[in-house]
Amino acid sequence: MLEIQQVSFAYPGHAPALKNVSLSIEAGEFIGLAGRNGSGKTTLTRLMVGLGKPASGEVMLDGKPAKDGGPAVMARSVGYVFQNPDRQIFRDTVASEVAYGPEQMDWSDAERQSAVDDALNMTGLTEVAEAYPRALARSFRQRIAIASALALKPRLLILDEPTSGQDANEKMQLMELLGKLNQQGIGVILVTHDMEMLLEHTRRTVVLHLGEKVYDGPTVDLFADPAHDVSAWGLRVPDAAAIAAKLVQSTGAVRSIEELATRIQHQLGGKTDEDSGASV
Amino acid sequence: MKTLAPLCNLLLTIAVSVWTVLIWDPAPLAVMLAVEIALLAYAGQLRKLAKGLVGLLIVAAFFSVIQLPFDVAVSIAVASGLKMMVMTVAVLLMLGTTRLPSLTAALVSQVRIPYEYAFMFTSALRFMPDFIAESHAVREAQICRGYVQSSNPLKRIVAYAALVEPMVLRAITRSETMAMSLELRGFGSAKRTFTQQIAFRSQDYLVLTLIAVVTAVVIQYR
Amino acid sequence: MDAVQFEDFSYHYPKTGNGLDQVTLSIPVGSFTVLAGANGSGKTTLCMAMTGLVPHFFGGSMSGQVRVDGQVTTDRPVSDIAAGVGFVMEDYESQLVALTVFDEVAFALENTAVPADLIRVQVAEALAAVGLTGLEERELSALSGGQKQRLAVASVLASQPKILVLDEPTSALDPEGSEDLYALLAQLNKEKGITVIVADHDLAQALPHADRMVVMESGRVALAGTLDEVLARMVSEEVYPAAVPALRRLKAALETETRKYSSWTSADEAAAEINASLPPMRRLSLSA
Repeated sequence: MLEIQQVSFAYPGHAPALKNVSLSIEAGEFIGLAGRNGSGKTTLTRLMVGLGKPASGEVMLDGKPAKDGGPAVMARSVGYVFQNPDRQIFRDTVASEVAYGPEQMDWSDAERQSAVDDALNMTGLTEVAEAYPRALARSFRQRIAIASALALKPRLLILDEPTSGQDANEKMQLMELLGKLNQQGIGVILVTHDMEMLLEHTRRTVVLHLGEKVYDGPTVDLFADPAHDVSAWGLRVPDAAAIAAKLVQSTGAVRSIEELATRIQHQLGGKTDEDSGASV
Repeated sequence: MKTLAPLCNLLLTIAVSVWTVLIWDPAPLAVMLAVEIALLAYAGQLRKLAKGLVGLLIVAAFFSVIQLPFDVAVSIAVASGLKMMVMTVAVLLMLGTTRLPSLTAALVSQVRIPYEYAFMFTSALRFMPDFIAESHAVREAQICRGYVQSSNPLKRIVAYAALVEPMVLRAITRSETMAMSLELRGFGSAKRTFTQQIAFRSQDYLVLTLIAVVTAVVIQYR
Repeated sequence: MDAVQFEDFSYHYPKTGNGLDQVTLSIPVGSFTVLAGANGSGKTTLCMAMTGLVPHFFGGSMSGQVRVDGQVTTDRPVSDIAAGVGFVMEDYESQLVALTVFDEVAFALENTAVPADLIRVQVAEALAAVGLTGLEERELSALSGGQKQRLAVASVLASQPKILVLDEPTSALDPEGSEDLYALLAQLNKEKGITVIVADHDLAQALPHADRMVVMESGRVALAGTLDEVLARMVSEEVYPAAVPALRRLKAALETETRKYSSWTSADEAAAEINASLPPMRRLSLSA
């Protein structure tokens, strides 16, 4: 669906931010994008929505170059949720904010209304549709940003570090929402520093290092295979994966602490929850 | 000019402005302009300001030409244009060769302007780039939702209006944080140290003397 | 005498009415405390109360008192308290007010009429502590996010405070940046005896360096004490369970009446102990 073909890019007056990066994204994937600050993650996602043109190489959407239509056209297929929700909110009610995108399209009023309603519904914002966005908590404002992108019915949603500033409960709720959207067929690209989240929720991870793609494959394998020196790329192996890597003959590769606990309990002689004294 | 005390630079700029007002003969004005531009080049500022200077030249030329149909003598029209250029370039020269914090320090300790007012200028400069970046960010978010810049100027203006609210709100939040930061760091107390070098040295007194002499000459010959 | 003491302190912001509810808390001198809690639980308000901004800057209503370094915060102006408590706010970018690195770090000292020579010395020390030496003339707009953050720390260190409070300092940093920041804080804590209080959502980054923890809930202190005590109670009393770090959750899930594990601080430690507790047939020979 979205092809990044040997793309290179440099900001004026700076060293190259992306060097010959190639990537192929199909419909409905759930991909994590990781790497240090400055490794090129944000640059890559910006090129994916058409904000900026590659110095060399092409970004192709459905076989056509993205630069032909530009970001306004890309918006219909690839939604972008910026890190700071407040920079994207400029209307007085949640509903009118979400309606901004549809208003830019040449859709009928009925189509626009249904797009807004669906987006609000998907993100659980129907009840606060008439509220003033800035009076709501940050996690709500973020969902507004997501709904605003969803209103254009994109096939792919890119989120740039959506969990910064969120507490543990809010992070869980966000990941639930993204999981739900993914199940409905919307592809998700998650730029994140949260390794636990990456391991538990993404199926595939792309790692960038100094503008180059250094890993593209199953997330589990990224952390399970000791040959990957992830700390050289600025990443950290989540505790669950680190322990599983040591005990791999007993546990196999895991995607979360909960999964690891279950497997270990099995090995410890199949103790039941009653014996454990704590629920998993 | 970079080596002169900031207050001296300021006084020099004011003196130049006074001279420009008093002189109506295009020849000395043209010489002053040439000297200023040479000083700009010497201070390494010429390339940066080249575009702006060309724009200024066009405006000044326009200002001169527009006076001709009103029975104004050619030399006077030309002089007016030159005056505009000389004064503007003088200010640019000062800003390019004087560190703003030093100028602030000089205004407060030597001219006795309350620190709070001088600090306003430093803050404005400090937050300008941030606000510009903020406006770009909001505009990009709009683009990612299908906004296409209209060729219709009226529609463009309306589109800019959408940027105002988030920027104003951000400005308010920022200023609240900044106010807290200032209070935590003792801003507003009567006594204050300035680490900037603002004291007058022999070369500054020399320049001041020259200013006095030239001003006397200008007044004499006007 | 503790570094900070909250004595039955309640506070309500003038407009929203939210705030703190009967907080009684002691932060010992030289401790490294992590402040945890959901958004809106009162972490920021607690930090503000330690600097006197609550109530001086915001107004509102309060009862009880807060003592910093033995003195009640309502008795002194904010700038006075700030001399002993360095505060790095969540929005650290807006906290930076000057044009260059040097000016920023010197700002507080200039405002309190410290002699110019002494200012230069203290600025140099503060910049050295955070690793920004040599960047004195750099403009703020030319700094990276991580550098700006370290600059904010330097600018509060310049007044040589005995207490350092940071509100969500790592949100803009990548894992390495966070590690560097926490390493710096740990160094200031151990080598200079500075009392450190950090509010952070990412407990896994903060906890390796901390010895105490406070969990806030709806404006109240839900849990407070040593790291171990609090983590154990977070699990057993189900306080803010989603935030319990991975190793602790694992420990809680695997422990039984008869089988206990120690408080692991690393994945390797956990793997070794778990392996040792497996039935002999299933034990592996683990490489170091």
